[in-house]
Amino acid sequence: MPIATSNFLVPNFTLVFELIAFLIVLGVIGWTVLPFLNKALTERQDQIRGELEAADKAKADAEDADAERRSELEEARRHAREIVAQANSTADQVASSAQTRAQAEYDRIVQSADVEIAAARQTAVHEVTARVGEVVLAAAERVIGREIQAADHQDLINEAVAAISAEAESGTTADSSGVTR
Amino acid sequence: MSLGQSLMGIHGLVADISVGDHVTQQVLGQKIDADLLWSTIAAGIITIALGLMVRRRATAGVPGKVQLAWEMVVTSTQNQVETTIGPRGARIVPLAVTLFVFILICNFFTVIGLGATYDVLLPPAADINLPLALALFVILLVHISSIRARGIVGYVKHYVAQPFPIFLFPFNFFINLVEELAKPVTLALRLFGNLLSGGLMLALLAFLVQWKLGVIPVGGVLFIVFDPVWKIFDLAIGVIQAFIFALLTILYFDTAMSNDH
Repeated sequence: MPIATSNFLVPNFTLVFELIAFLIVLGVIGWTVLPFLNKALTERQDQIRGELEAADKAKADAEDADAERRSELEEARRHAREIVAQANSTADQVASSAQTRAQAEYDRIVQSADVEIAAARQTAVHEVTARVGEVVLAAAERVIGREIQAADHQDLINEAVAAISAEAESGTTADSSGVTR
Repeated sequence: MSLGQSLMGIHGLVADISVGDHVTQQVLGQKIDADLLWSTIAAGIITIALGLMVRRRATAGVPGKVQLAWEMVVTSTQNQVETTIGPRGARIVPLAVTLFVFILICNFFTVIGLGATYDVLLPPAADINLPLALALFVILLVHISSIRARGIVGYVKHYVAQPFPIFLFPFNFFINLVEELAKPVTLALRLFGNLLSGGLMLALLAFLVQWKLGVIPVGGVLFIVFDPVWKIFDLAIGVIQAFIFALLTILYFDTAMSNDH
């Protein structure tokens, strides 16, 4: 049984019809399919390009906003540092002023107390010396058995009182200086 | 000894592989291979149907699988043309795309049947007519493009003024003539030979079914194992050959439209 009855390397008229068939396919694909496909591809490319541009713009906006936020944050920090520094300075001034005022008040109170103490002591000395004179006269009357007129012995009394006062004064001065210190 | 006779008597088997025999009809007084022509028309219809399906559903949004496949072919071809020829090669894209898809679908017919005369749809590229028709058409367009790009004088000069000095123009012309004649022949035979050999391998595998050792169908088992493997291989061959045909078309246009002599 013959396997091949014709030379398969020799073309025949089928070639023409197959070429016509291909040309029809080429025409349909080339004129009706590929333009639509290219249009869809172009639209998608434009769409993607637009989305990329929008994304780039959004990214740039975000970067600008971030930079602005950083700037404002830095400004706020700087402002806060200034406020804190100013507050510290004010606090130092207030503390210093309060300390000065307190020291002055303390000194005034101490001085006033010293004066009052000295006056009280002086008053007490005067009272004591006056009382001492009376006591001395009363004691003297009992000793000598007669009334002693204060007017008659005023000089003696005054001398004694003066001596006591002077002694008392010297003690007062010594105490006052010790308090003041 | 013919190719068909050499395939006979393998291990005592009777091979009935016919190469080049087709169902013929007379059209306009010429003999045509009707089975091949119907296969070609079927491939054309499938190509057009896929194209029209994409045209109807083409969207700039998320593409479907068919549109995605078309877009992949189109963008790959556009990139190849842009890289090889540049912007002026944009007119070649439809031709290259159509060639690739059409030849690819033709080649996929190989895996439908059992090879050679047992095929349901003969792979059209496994016959010399379709590859040669496509190659001649491509080469014709290449020469037309060459004339448009260089002008008549430049076109003629291209064949007589290189590669040797112009006073050796007979040699130049002879060398260039051989080269130009070889282009369609090699372009056609490359596709045809690969597809024919793939079909013959499938046919030989089909004949293994006759091989039995006693009642054991050794050939049938081998056929069941190797037929799918070879068909997968043929699918890859079909894709590669379609790609090579389209790529060589682009390269031929590049050579024809180039100003370098």
